[in-house]
Amino acid sequence: MFELIRRVAEDDPDRVGLATHERSWTYAELRDAALSVAAWLRAERVARLAVADFEADVVVPVLAGASLVGAEVTQYPPDDASVIEDLVERFDHDVVVTDRRDLGHVAARLVAPSEVLGAASAEIGTPPEERPHLVLTTGTTGAPRGVRHDWSRLVRGVARVAPVQDERWLLAYGLHQFAGLQVLLHVYAAGATLVAPAPRRPVEGLEAMRALGVTHASATPTYWRFLLARARSDGRGLPDLRQVTLGGEAIPGPLLAELAEAFPHAGISQVYAASEFGSTGSMRDGRAGLSVDVLDRGDEADVDMRIVDGELWIRTRSGMLGYYGEPPVDADGWRATGDLVEVEGDRIVFRGRSSEVINVGGVKVHPLPIEERVGSVPGVDMARVFGRPNAMTGAIVALEIVAAPGADEAEVTRAVKAACADLVPAARPRSIRFVDDVATTGGKIIRRQP
Amino acid sequence: MSTSATDVEQTVIGFLTTIEKLPEAFGPSTSLYAGGAGLDSLETAELSAILEDTHGADPYSAGEMPQTLAEIQAYYAANSA
Repeated sequence: MFELIRRVAEDDPDRVGLATHERSWTYAELRDAALSVAAWLRAERVARLAVADFEADVVVPVLAGASLVGAEVTQYPPDDASVIEDLVERFDHDVVVTDRRDLGHVAARLVAPSEVLGAASAEIGTPPEERPHLVLTTGTTGAPRGVRHDWSRLVRGVARVAPVQDERWLLAYGLHQFAGLQVLLHVYAAGATLVAPAPRRPVEGLEAMRALGVTHASATPTYWRFLLARARSDGRGLPDLRQVTLGGEAIPGPLLAELAEAFPHAGISQVYAASEFGSTGSMRDGRAGLSVDVLDRGDEADVDMRIVDGELWIRTRSGMLGYYGEPPVDADGWRATGDLVEVEGDRIVFRGRSSEVINVGGVKVHPLPIEERVGSVPGVDMARVFGRPNAMTGAIVALEIVAAPGADEAEVTRAVKAACADLVPAARPRSIRFVDDVATTGGKIIRRQP
Repeated sequence: MSTSATDVEQTVIGFLTTIEKLPEAFGPSTSLYAGGAGLDSLETAELSAILEDTHGADPYSAGEMPQTLAEIQAYYAANSA
């Protein structure tokens, strides 16, 4: 991470590496801040720390400085103090960098970002061989787990990124998310500019696109749907992006078409990545799913995939080393992804997560294809399909709809039922509700019920 | 909506109308299933969800299997405060 920033800082020190609505930081400033962090970590003999600050101008230098001296950083999610308290205990953190005033009860040494970033820089020398990094999962399946990575393996994933000068990438993910880290690595491997609004919701993202000259953006399909809906409702139009990237969730074909229409001059890519197995590259052909060419590439390939009983398995050389507090895994071995897929022609099509399948009276129903249908109905801005517990059938397919402004709910309901009429009876939505917003976590729709 | 017999009747008839299964001579003692409205298990599951959404509880989730509108109304009458 540090070496990516330093390389650009040496070639072009005044190039802007980070921009917010408030100010910009050059690559040289980011490098110097990272050196201060590294010096502070060395002087204080801190080998592991957490960050509970969400501003990119703090997180970026802390990550870079820690990667230089081999200190393990964990970026916490923007949560309540009680959650932070639990995380400190669960992940044995003794040091938390934060300027939050509500963390006084946390059982760790709280250090202000100004102290870490303001330390006098010193000669650091060669980075150690092991440079750990810990990413927390979103915890949708229970308590979050710590996914152990190493910077050398992470940086390997962006080794082929071509240098550029004029790309301005929107940071639409939290930096506590693996996807946020991927954007960071890509931006600094390319020598581009990271545009980091706060908070990182679609409404702020859209404003940052308009005000801060964003040219490239990577976000979840859910984020893009919200952003498009927001742009439609405020009527102020969309910026002329050059690149639209999607990842983190299965991507509906209709959304790809909608994005292609909304951003006519943008390349549209899909990234398939996860905290556990890292990034596997991108699909740039504008079609949903992955090419079957990714399957069975052989032992020499950096990324290889196979399908086992309808589930995608993967082997990468940039994946995790294991989970915090658990025995190490075979980092280069095969892993089940939890993604259920089918091969249609030359395409691997995602059907949903194995954990999201709805069992309706013994019939397994995938929520994604239903969401795709409903999402295409005029008057529907967003749709969420999930299993609702039911005494008769164990579960029924439940549907939440965010209606487009001015849409007639009764009319939309009739249209949705007509759109689903040819599904097998178990897959037809039996509970339809109109809501202002659908439940999300980390920019992804929550389809699993508690 | 309240759990009065009239409101519950309105919910059940509205549902049967929507799915086009309201018998011509539907009444409190008409069977909801075979020989009457002809609800299958998924439609019954849907009725259960609609009753819960509309009236805050439903007899199916309470472990009962009402055969008629009258039995659904009786459930709410027995469980109203």
